[in-house]
Amino acid sequence: MKILLVEDDAETASYVAKGLTEAGHVVDRAADGREGLFLAGAGSHDVLVVDRMLPHLDGLGLVRALRAMGVRTPALILTARAGVGDRVEGLEAGADDYLAKPFAFAELLARINALARRPPLQAEPTVLRVADLEMDLLKRTVTRAGRRIELQPREFRLLEYLMRRQGEVLTRTMLLEGVWDFHFDPKTSVVETHISRLRAKVDKGFGVELIHTVRGAGYAIRAPG
Amino acid sequence: MRSVPPADSNAPKAERRFAWLRNPAFRIMRTTAFRVTLLHLGLTLLGTAVLSVVAWWATTGFAAQQVADEVVRDMGVLQRAARLGGAASVAVSVQARLAADRSGTEYYVLTAPDGARIAGNLAEAPSLRGWHTLRLKGGATGPETSLLALGEPLPDGSFIIVARDLAPVRELEARLLGAAGWVGGGALLIGLLGGIVMGRGVVLRAARMEAALAAVEAGEISRRVPAREGGDEFDRLATRINATLDRLQALMDTVRQVTDDIAHDLRTPLSRLRQRLEAALRTAPQGEPEQEAPWRETIEGALADCDRILGIFAALLRIAQVESGARRAAFKRFDLTAVAETVAEVYAPAAEEREQRLETRLQPGLAAWGDPELITQMLANLLENAVVHGRQGGSILLSLAPGPNGGAVLEVADDGPGIPEAERERVLRRFHRLDAARSRPGSGLGLALVAAVAELHGIHLSLGDNKPGLRVRLEIPPP
Repeated sequence: MKILLVEDDAETASYVAKGLTEAGHVVDRAADGREGLFLAGAGSHDVLVVDRMLPHLDGLGLVRALRAMGVRTPALILTARAGVGDRVEGLEAGADDYLAKPFAFAELLARINALARRPPLQAEPTVLRVADLEMDLLKRTVTRAGRRIELQPREFRLLEYLMRRQGEVLTRTMLLEGVWDFHFDPKTSVVETHISRLRAKVDKGFGVELIHTVRGAGYAIRAPG
Repeated sequence: MRSVPPADSNAPKAERRFAWLRNPAFRIMRTTAFRVTLLHLGLTLLGTAVLSVVAWWATTGFAAQQVADEVVRDMGVLQRAARLGGAASVAVSVQARLAADRSGTEYYVLTAPDGARIAGNLAEAPSLRGWHTLRLKGGATGPETSLLALGEPLPDGSFIIVARDLAPVRELEARLLGAAGWVGGGALLIGLLGGIVMGRGVVLRAARMEAALAAVEAGEISRRVPAREGGDEFDRLATRINATLDRLQALMDTVRQVTDDIAHDLRTPLSRLRQRLEAALRTAPQGEPEQEAPWRETIEGALADCDRILGIFAALLRIAQVESGARRAAFKRFDLTAVAETVAEVYAPAAEEREQRLETRLQPGLAAWGDPELITQMLANLLENAVVHGRQGGSILLSLAPGPNGGAVLEVADDGPGIPEAERERVLRRFHRLDAARSRPGSGLGLALVAAVAELHGIHLSLGDNKPGLRVRLEIPPP
């Protein structure tokens, strides 16, 4: 994947670039907003990672200018400000995701992958499938290997979110934001308990595990092999 | 924290007696302008009354004196005639005077010593000496009139009475009374009109100031009260208010600036520290497992500490941001029931993990006015508290019911150890933790954020006893 990183702090920039390169991506770097706009304007990147506070042209201005130019490349805003209204402001400027500094690198990587894989708008599927696990979105039923699994509505919602993004690593905060619209970090391990309850119903007794814990990052549902 | 007004039934007697004053139709009566107008009007009327009484006394007294002077003068002339020519001469003089009197206000009567009437136009002839008032029925000027009369004996033993009709004086009095009425009415009208005009001006200016201050309170911090340069006391007051608002805004800007600076200047090195720890973890030398494991553990521990510091930091910044009131500008109407449902859903498995029963009694379709994100976090903090500090194997109740005036009442109750009454105020402060809770996870900032969010939304927050346990009650104002 080709990623453009616009970040003025040299240390953070090289840390992020190094990590992304190790993860197999190609990284272009820009140190200020104007340079970033120039590079991103070509539209040849898969994802933009833009710091919010930049010299010459700030991150929001950059994204706004790109959107005005018709460049639709998914953009993730990085920021040291994590105020309540800042995220909304970022999304309103045309950014697709928002991540507060400091972040775990795994969080950034998971979000970049999620942005790049954002599927083009297509016909809504009525059945989601991961190996022998099947979710019927019309009948609101879940079966595994033909056996019916009874899920509570909250478990259904979480499984649906995981299955729609199968193969992707989803972090705790991505699940909190995506499933429940929680934009803060609860102290208790609410996500872990949700996942373990879901696992007990979906994976227990079926031999092959579909819901995986990705160490230091989050969770993913994927078919074996 | 905002306190709730007492319910009407508990209101003191006096307050209830004047309850009708709160009716919008009588609202004008509660304005200072109305009271000033009323006072001004009363003083004007009093002034007019005093003026009228003084004018009355001066004018009617003068007129009566003039009549009396005429009588005395006539009496002198007739006395002289009596001394010179006796009663006959007086009779001629009286006749001549009556013939010359065109106004018909002069009255005389001359009686002989034996009481026989010699001359004059008065039917009765009482021999009253000195001043007196006579009633005259069917006189020349009207049905009944009163006369000012002076009676004196003449040297030859006859008796003369000189009288004047007091009708002109009475008419003057009537006219003065009429004039006083007109003056009073006019003063009343002018006072009332002036009062209304002045009062309206005052009311309008006060309303403009009120509107501007309400806008500031609602988050439009740059709004100012209208003030003219070098104007009246209202303008001086407005200028002073604006100066105070300028100072308030400067302080808020400073807080925001400091917050941003802290956010940037402290988070940046902490971010780098975190990055380095993560990088160290990624590039760990693949050595012997016995050597690598403790090394990895140390770095992971350092990362966890780093995240804890950053978490406390983020919570403090968030509380400061909420307290600044800047979020008010982004308030909107939202579905409170849906927010409560979601939060209950998120915490249900965590409660089950502690073998707690999380029961919800949520009235559907209740709305609120505010920031749904902050309300979500407030409820999450309360449920988190109930799950962490509640009794293992106990039960937690989350209820949402309609409140007074279209508002809502939300309660979170657990059956854990609760909070001693003396501590309930204090747990709402930053970093305050009960000794018993120190061993459990938490930063002591959860309830401080709850209090800040409640204050921002005008929610009345109270901590009560659930017997046993803690019962948190939120009285949410209508949307």
